[in-house]
Amino acid sequence: MSSHDRPPDPLEPVWKALANQWRREILDYLREGPMSTGDLAERFPEVSRFAVMQHLKVLEDSGLVVVRRSGRSRINHLNPVPIQQIYERWVSHYEGRWTEALLSLKRQVERSRETHLPDSHSSTAS
Amino acid sequence: MEDRVFSVEIRAPVQAVWDEITKLGKVQVPMMNTVLETDFRPGSRLRYYSPDRKYVLVIGEVIECSPPHKFAHTYVMTDLGEAPTLVTWELHEIPQGVRVTVTHSQFSEQSAKTHKRVKGGWAFILENLKALIEQGEVPFKTRFQYGLFGMLMWMLPKRARTENVAAMEKKQ
Repeated sequence: MSSHDRPPDPLEPVWKALANQWRREILDYLREGPMSTGDLAERFPEVSRFAVMQHLKVLEDSGLVVVRRSGRSRINHLNPVPIQQIYERWVSHYEGRWTEALLSLKRQVERSRETHLPDSHSSTAS
Repeated sequence: MEDRVFSVEIRAPVQAVWDEITKLGKVQVPMMNTVLETDFRPGSRLRYYSPDRKYVLVIGEVIECSPPHKFAHTYVMTDLGEAPTLVTWELHEIPQGVRVTVTHSQFSEQSAKTHKRVKGGWAFILENLKALIEQGEVPFKTRFQYGLFGMLMWMLPKRARTENVAAMEKKQ
């Protein structure tokens, strides 16, 4: 029962959508650029067109794919936002060094700026 | 060149999101920490300024404004000065709140650099928009990045300075 009281993880549909090999392969194609449902189905000759459409529906419901109509065809776009959210939640925590690198860049930029500023009033500049 | 589409679900009333993305005169923190200026009438000028207003980062022209569901405008990054592209914000009410979709389109060879650059930018903006509206603030990392942007503003070309952007606006 207690698990029912827990607020739902907003990324739950994304994890579910990603937990399938075909859907991950669809996303691999869409990463290269948007594709119509027909063109996508052709890339998966071993799967029925209907199955591809079902997978696309799951991807769309999860927010990983956004569908735009173009004339009579449906164009499927990869939406990078949920991927970014997963990245923020799981990967960015291991990035302490990234922050360190930025801080050191900040210091360097500030130093180089100081040396470029006209310092006619400063007698201590070396 | 293909359209770029970005979408996020925000647990808030549609009006809250609309008010944030159309806020004037104050910094829109998710929107790369810029200040929007426009009167929202189709054909009118639109500018996204740096917080100190010394630079204009994006210029454009309003195409459509239908509160609280659709806002479309042309889009030119002033430091690139490429051909205008089109940005369309769409807000759809859903049971959990609102689905916000940004479609960046009408790219050509004359806006290839813009096409490349906005790939990650909109994901960052939408994620921060969600954080601001649902949690009241953007993550520390975002604010840190803005601090860095602020320090690097002086690297922008002269044509991006506020006093110079009118020349670029005339050309469009």
